[in-house]
Amino acid sequence: MLETLYSTWIVPAAFAGVAWGILGGALPGISPSITMALLLPLTYGMDPTVAIVMLASTYVGAEYGGSIPAILIRTPGTNAAAATVVDGYAMKQQGRAGEALGISLYSGFVGGLFGLIVLVTLAEPLSNVALAFTPQAYFALGVLGLSVIASLSRESLVKGLMAGVLGLMISTIGTDPVTGLNRFTFDSPELLSGIPPILVMVGLFAIGEMLAQTGEPGLQAVPERPRIRFPGPAMWRRIALPQAIGSVVGTMEGVMPGGGGAVSSFLAYNEARRWSRRKDEFGKGSPEGIAAPEAANNTVACTALVPMLSLGIPSSNSAAVLLGGFLLHGLLPGPMLFVQNPEVVDGLFLGLLVANIAMVIVGYLIMGPCIWLVSRPKPYLMAFIYALVVSGVFAIETSVFHVGVALGFGVLGYIMRYVGVPLLPMVLGVVLGFMVESNYRRALVLSDGDYMIFMQDRLSAALLALALIFVVGSLFHHVRDARRPVPKA
Amino acid sequence: MNRDLVFGCASLALAVGYFLLAAQIPESQLADTVGPQGLPRIYAYVLGGLSLVLVAQSLRASRPEPSAERPRPSAENPEPGVESPTLSARSQALRAFGVVVIGAAYIAVVPWLGYIVSLTALIAATTYYQGGGANRRVAVVSVTGALLFWLLFVAILGIQHPAGFWPDLF
Repeated sequence: MLETLYSTWIVPAAFAGVAWGILGGALPGISPSITMALLLPLTYGMDPTVAIVMLASTYVGAEYGGSIPAILIRTPGTNAAAATVVDGYAMKQQGRAGEALGISLYSGFVGGLFGLIVLVTLAEPLSNVALAFTPQAYFALGVLGLSVIASLSRESLVKGLMAGVLGLMISTIGTDPVTGLNRFTFDSPELLSGIPPILVMVGLFAIGEMLAQTGEPGLQAVPERPRIRFPGPAMWRRIALPQAIGSVVGTMEGVMPGGGGAVSSFLAYNEARRWSRRKDEFGKGSPEGIAAPEAANNTVACTALVPMLSLGIPSSNSAAVLLGGFLLHGLLPGPMLFVQNPEVVDGLFLGLLVANIAMVIVGYLIMGPCIWLVSRPKPYLMAFIYALVVSGVFAIETSVFHVGVALGFGVLGYIMRYVGVPLLPMVLGVVLGFMVESNYRRALVLSDGDYMIFMQDRLSAALLALALIFVVGSLFHHVRDARRPVPKA
Repeated sequence: MNRDLVFGCASLALAVGYFLLAAQIPESQLADTVGPQGLPRIYAYVLGGLSLVLVAQSLRASRPEPSAERPRPSAENPEPGVESPTLSARSQALRAFGVVVIGAAYIAVVPWLGYIVSLTALIAATTYYQGGGANRRVAVVSVTGALLFWLLFVAILGIQHPAGFWPDLF
């Protein structure tokens, strides 16, 4: 494994990814998934392992970056940093901004390392069933992935399902996987190989968000440039428990579909306050109130990769974009990844270790450029993001047509945000659609059209049962929430 | 008009159009029991069904409750369930449309004007459109930005962006 570290560009990639992630995360409105989506096209010509490490490191860096404006200007850079605002900004008002940033960085490091240990421990055993996978089991795995949509659609199950079906429809564009016939290509040669998932992701996440931010007010300038102060031994002891709470909460939320950094941060904050001996300090500048959510969201940055790597199921937007990175480089996350491309998995694990160390170093050094970037006028920021998107999307297939496709998905993403339709179900549909259809039909060819083949295969039956449990559980929650009386104002 | 209702109707129309296109996919002698039209047809049925559910839900939500006393609809107090977009939401959508037009214009001109000139125009237009003004600073930033992107993508990463008509001139 160490040979991989020495012989490739993993270390520079991890450092560069973390730096990019911190800068992106520090910009309010630019989520980790958007930061990753903006970088995705740039990785096109890179070695696959280096590209994946860079993307994963971006995720790690962005989770810390979000806390910088949260502490300095009371504006979270990412959703996950919203919980850090409470005590981070209070500490800044007390003249302890450097200390708050140090606690955030150190806690992110601790959470990230914990998450990495969980990832290494869980991902490979989960994928050990790889050799038992038949076409019917792959189909069932795809269905299990799609069943996640039910839990991702908290606002409206119908809209979430619609987005998922739309994604499945998009995946049918191109050459039919069994007969080779063209479907929905409108005689366009550019559509013969289908719509690359990366275009959908860049369009929905990056361009859609940019359109949504048009006309929104700019950010306030950062008045001061504090120096980061890392916590001493006494503070280590004080924040150890909230860090542990954050790491455990982050682990549970990371492996669960739809959990994500934001949910874990608030849960961790709540639990840290519950278990704290100094409850009254929370909300008034408590270091524990920073340590718990920051440990949690950096734990999620690693544990969210468990279902993505071992089963090929992205449980969050950021994991979906990373999945897009795998697909872009011809890699298929899931059970066979550990068998066919073990060097990528080893490289990713090592890269994440380097990324967590890099986060401390880069996080310390990059404070000045970060503050400079956050203080830039919004029109310039928007213009450069737009230029990066159109240049990057062109780079994927060197095709202006694909820039137009991404722009179209940007408009769709904007409309979906406007109507309140979740984006991730559509991405899931696009990513899993081909796997579901091709394996469904292959299985039926093998069985001469007998549908019982999906029940006769133990793995397939177990995965389908799991998907059913997932859907029924989510439906139960939806029905319970719908019947719950709305409290009077 | 209710956003959900519009979205539901649009999705229903999409489902119908997609189904008709799926029905036109020719049969193949290599076809399996499901065939290339099989799953697309199912997707169309499911989307159509879900669209109808959404339309029904939005219509039910916009129906007034007969027993409850409710104030007369007004600008401050709109009809329940009918989320008529406010002026700011509408103007925000129009502004977003302007950004799309800038992107579309870039796509249209980049094969002829080339990458650097088109990207300079895109950066300048977006900056101006977002309220950055039209001055020398915007021009300098736009040209510098386009050159930096050219350096990154073309010179360093080796990705050949459209050169436009410039090579023919020299």
